[in-house]
Amino acid sequence: MRLGFFFREAIRSIKANVAISVAAIVTVMIAVFILGTFIPSYLYVQSTVNQQKSRLDIQVYVADAAPQSQVAALQAQIVALQSQGLIKSFSFISKTDALNQFKARLNDPTILTLLPNNPLPASFDVKPVDPAKDGQIAIALRASHAIDTTMPGNGISYAETTTNRLLTIAQFIQYAGLVLIAILLVAAILLIGNTIRLSIFARRREVEVMRLVGATNWFIRWPFIIEGIICGVVGAVVSVVILWIAKILVVDPYVSTSTGGLTKDSASTIGFGTLAVILIIAGGAVGAVGSGFTLRRFLKV
Amino acid sequence: MWSRRPSESFRMSTDADAQLNPEPASSAPGRRAGRTAERRIDRRSILRPGDGSMVIFDGVTKRYGEDVVGLDNISLSIDAGEFVFLVGPSGSGKSTFIRLLIKEMDASEGTVIVGGRDLGKMSRAKVPYLRRGIGCVFQDFKLLPGRTIYENVAYALEVTGDAPKSIRRKVPEILALTGLADKADRLPNELSGGEQQRVSIARAFVNHPRLLIADEPTGNLDPDTSIGIMQLLYRINRTGTTVVMATHDRDLVDKMQMRVIALEDGKLVRDERSASYATAEP
Repeated sequence: MRLGFFFREAIRSIKANVAISVAAIVTVMIAVFILGTFIPSYLYVQSTVNQQKSRLDIQVYVADAAPQSQVAALQAQIVALQSQGLIKSFSFISKTDALNQFKARLNDPTILTLLPNNPLPASFDVKPVDPAKDGQIAIALRASHAIDTTMPGNGISYAETTTNRLLTIAQFIQYAGLVLIAILLVAAILLIGNTIRLSIFARRREVEVMRLVGATNWFIRWPFIIEGIICGVVGAVVSVVILWIAKILVVDPYVSTSTGGLTKDSASTIGFGTLAVILIIAGGAVGAVGSGFTLRRFLKV
Repeated sequence: MWSRRPSESFRMSTDADAQLNPEPASSAPGRRAGRTAERRIDRRSILRPGDGSMVIFDGVTKRYGEDVVGLDNISLSIDAGEFVFLVGPSGSGKSTFIRLLIKEMDASEGTVIVGGRDLGKMSRAKVPYLRRGIGCVFQDFKLLPGRTIYENVAYALEVTGDAPKSIRRKVPEILALTGLADKADRLPNELSGGEQQRVSIARAFVNHPRLLIADEPTGNLDPDTSIGIMQLLYRINRTGTTVVMATHDRDLVDKMQMRVIALEDGKLVRDERSASYATAEP
């Protein structure tokens, strides 16, 4: 009965200020819509970055003149780093392998016949566990005398700048997205708060009578909180519907054409069902928080 | 003449009279219905006038800010079941007196005891339960415009957590008692001022409070209508409910010859039983 009373009062109040309630609902809708596009995009980028990171290998070039014992010592050092958990795996690429790989990338391999000898050094192709620790691995291996210091990166080449740039972009997307969402959520909370404030004003006689006849403070507050939650959830549901339509019409056709092409996209993102649940809960929470703040400020009980 | 013998001048059935009185005489403790009624009321309200005093003011002073005095060292006591007029010009402290009674604010000094409860020591959380034991009627009725008469009265019960079944029983009962049975589905603005005030009294009395406070209840009404409201309040008083009525209405007070408490500039200037609005001219 009480819950019924709270809902009836909340709906009565929403009907009484339709325009303001709609404004709050639309704000929540926009905020939730952006949240709803951001969450999957962010997770997609994050997943892509992780995949890129795993492709970032370290090349350790071996000098042609290095004696076999020094090469073996270098390999032992790599194995030691592997056992420390810094290196995932490594492979040795001989001078011949390197030439063959180079040949395969050329459109006209016959130009190689112009070379008097094989200029490519042998190398170790090292896959780090965490690309951010490439530098640490490089320093550890630097002492070896087998390294061909004439090669790029003084003989140890790793995509320091690429790695860092990818990580920076990923972090930027993360922070920018979080800031954007925070701003929108604050805006939504304030607008819901404003709706509730007007609703308190519109219902001031009710509130006065409730106090006079001895309604408890929570009994007075609940209809307003439920009103806020209804605004939040309705806004979230509308935006989930829009997101679903956008997914069907725009995202799904694009994804199916792009995966059918050259790139194999194994980066993953969130399922729509989970996303919808998260968004609706977020909408309700925004509504509850918005009305809660306003009640603290404007409903002295 | 009408004020002295309410049973003759008010057209009331004896059945209605029994319903109006929620507390049967203590000499009939075996009546189960009466006992349950009393238990129900005690659970809803926390007022328990122990020594027979419903209201005690002991050295009560209320200051607003630095030098505005609302009430100045008032000491008085109102017994359970009394009918008291609170008179005095505007700004004499009548409203302050009433706001202290329902703990809308606290006294600056002194003790206010209502129904055996020291309001100065009462926590904010208990105030709703204090107010369930006090009915309030105001000059401006304080009815909810978008709701019917029935809904207005039911609202007071709904927001204090009464069961729907009990609401469906109590509301028609109180509307019949206040002569509003045929107006149940009307909106407040379709009613006359006197009828609206009856609705407000019905709402204040539907829980059978032990104390009914009326702040200028006839302030907006013409003299004839005022008499009708007065009769209703008097009838409520006859059921054992203490009534404190603040008023300007000299004729009404003179006619009733009840206890009069007169305030002026926040001071108690007169407290007399069976009195008129003003002391007789010398």
